[in-house]
Amino acid sequence: MNSPFSSPLSRRRVLQGMGLAATVPVLSACVGTGQKSTNNGANSVTGSFDWKKAQGTTIKILQTPHVYQQTYQPLFKEFTDLTGITVTADLVPEADYFTKLNTELAGKSSTHDVFMMGAYWVWQYGPPGWLEDLDPWINNSAATGAEFDYNDFFEGLRTSMKWDFKVGSAAGTGGTYALPWGFELNNIAYNKTVFDKKGIKPAETFDNFIQLATDLTDRKNDQYGIAFRGSKSWATIHPGFMTQYSRMGGKDYEVQNGKLTAVMNSPTAVDFTKKWADLAKAAGPTSWTTYEYPNCTGDLGDGKAMMVYDADSATYPKNVKGASKMAGQLAWHQGPAGPGGSLATNIWTWAWGMNANSKNKLAAWLFMQWASGKDAMNKAVKSGAFADPVRTSVFNGSFKQTLGSFPGYLEAFEAQVPQAKVLFTPQKRFLETTEDWAVALQSIYGGADAKSTLDSLASSNTNKVNS
Amino acid sequence: MSIRQHGAMRSADDTVGGHQPPAVSPARRKWRPYILSIPATIILIGILYPFVQGVGYTFLNYRATEPNPHFIAVGNYVAVFTDPLFWSSVRITGTFAIVATVVETILGVIIALLLNRSSMIGKIFEKVLILPLMIAPVIAAVIWKLMFNPQFGILNHIFRLGSTYDFLSADRALWSIILVDLWIYTPFVAILVLAGVRSLPREPFEASAVDGANWFYMFRRLMLPMMWPYILVAVIFRFMDCLKVFDIVYVLTQGGPGHATSTLQVNAYINSIINFNYSGGATYMFILWIIVYLTAQQLVKLLGRAQARAAGSEA
Repeated sequence: MNSPFSSPLSRRRVLQGMGLAATVPVLSACVGTGQKSTNNGANSVTGSFDWKKAQGTTIKILQTPHVYQQTYQPLFKEFTDLTGITVTADLVPEADYFTKLNTELAGKSSTHDVFMMGAYWVWQYGPPGWLEDLDPWINNSAATGAEFDYNDFFEGLRTSMKWDFKVGSAAGTGGTYALPWGFELNNIAYNKTVFDKKGIKPAETFDNFIQLATDLTDRKNDQYGIAFRGSKSWATIHPGFMTQYSRMGGKDYEVQNGKLTAVMNSPTAVDFTKKWADLAKAAGPTSWTTYEYPNCTGDLGDGKAMMVYDADSATYPKNVKGASKMAGQLAWHQGPAGPGGSLATNIWTWAWGMNANSKNKLAAWLFMQWASGKDAMNKAVKSGAFADPVRTSVFNGSFKQTLGSFPGYLEAFEAQVPQAKVLFTPQKRFLETTEDWAVALQSIYGGADAKSTLDSLASSNTNKVNS
Repeated sequence: MSIRQHGAMRSADDTVGGHQPPAVSPARRKWRPYILSIPATIILIGILYPFVQGVGYTFLNYRATEPNPHFIAVGNYVAVFTDPLFWSSVRITGTFAIVATVVETILGVIIALLLNRSSMIGKIFEKVLILPLMIAPVIAAVIWKLMFNPQFGILNHIFRLGSTYDFLSADRALWSIILVDLWIYTPFVAILVLAGVRSLPREPFEASAVDGANWFYMFRRLMLPMMWPYILVAVIFRFMDCLKVFDIVYVLTQGGPGHATSTLQVNAYINSIINFNYSGGATYMFILWIIVYLTAQQLVKLLGRAQARAAGSEA
């Protein structure tokens, strides 16, 4: 008998073959990551509009625990009664939410048909084709009820969900990639009791604001002037920082010869950034570089922070009776105006996006339409915790009626909303470049030279956004 | 004796308890090695597949959000080596690994020597010592993050530092992280060294004592050379782990403030998972793998020499 080792199919050859077979998926994975086009599906919906068109379907949605999510959870049953569609909601904490969503979408998963997202994610998820363009759905009367009234959304919110994915194009161009659901303006929430006791009012200019925050700081009594975010995240830049930065004349990028040039190292930007870092040191929380919005609002509610420069909808719940130590003692102000009275305000929108790989697009669209529709939003607002509604009719109707003793809230909102929009320039590397910006801000806070740090940041970001 | 007879004798010798072993068919004899190697092959592919794929990514410009990668040769390596952040990360990772390993080793040896004397207190300490190792490093980091908090953290309260002293500020964060690492892993070194100390032969020490040698002399000339292989094992484990540190750094500081605690692993994570730059992250990881591999190789050689010396060989 021949030895197996002398046969043409030797052990070594088998193992070599297995090794080669293993390299095939490796090599194919290296080159086979291109995107696949998906069918939008809106045009296949015909006839008259009917909420029951996708009856019997089950959709899965991905959410992060949030006041908006908590307010809507009890309403899902009404949606099922209306449409015959069952909704299963998966919750992921905010710290891990976008990592989970990124991984899922990058893997072309169709697990979740609809998910919560923000305007900046249109710039990240839109170009690879992960998001469904909603314009064909909005414009199809067979898929969208007459009462939907898309133009009822605040204009700044509608434009922030649209982009054409071209470097240098402004928000508001191209398709619509998400439906607004809840949003927030960035402004000052302050401890009115302390302000009244001291006989002081919120500052109207940035220099006065710095002075006020510093004067209100009393470290011995564990009290400090101003809380704003400082963690190593893009989210540190987008609320108070970007709002005040823009009011003072700062910009993130300028379009030059069809390319974006980072200008966060302009003299205005350097001056503002240095003042902001110094303000954090003089009147901010001691461990500022770890501060995220729950820390800021928590300190406001506990009476430690005298002011918070962050989202009005994040500070709003702290004034609800029983929600914090300082409940009923908080008030709002639009924040310091810039030279020339600018009240430019950066906004954040929690919105609904549709997975381009969803296998239940009609049911998904009906859910999004219902969730951002007037009826459900009116009901959510009446629960007393949903701020701010994204529809003008809901804001001017049930929200104003529900809003109780929230001094200055409406006044600040109405002063800011005409100049409120996404103040960042749309670009595909938003998260990375804006996190780099936060890192630079932390470095300046830690003692690095502002000019050279921002020069380096601008140079690096210019390369990244045009690559 | 004929060949036939020899074969018959072998058959008789091979019987066990008078029973003939079952005859193995030629087909089974031929395929059994392949079948037996399947689990090992699967494991090998499971390890090699992601590794080779990761190395493959380092030659592409693969980002999750721009999913049409193409071959860019050594572009990622050039980008990494010309990035000041990489060199800053190498410095931070190196500082962390060297300081943490040295201090943990010294403290571990001291604790092991103290515990070597069998006593009731020693036995209690042995039990207490193992507690940090029973906590997941991420949980330990969360606990320490709370303790470091200037407003309500216990450390500022105990040391009367006030609410303005920040353990995680740019100039202190790295040392605070090292402190957490020491808390978690010094017991590991101590337990490893203690096991070594207790396995040493008593005779050389008794002979030295008869000759009148003092404790320090015995420690320096007898105990330390014999303990050296155990200490080196602990050093190898800790140094390799420290080079790969991620969990406690990310929980405590996310690599900040600024880049003050950005280790190689943290940068790789931020590149790959936060910024979706799979190729950039893979490049960081591959470079780190090479550093760890080469360092481990040198340390293992050193260990081999130490073992040979401890065994009495001059090799």
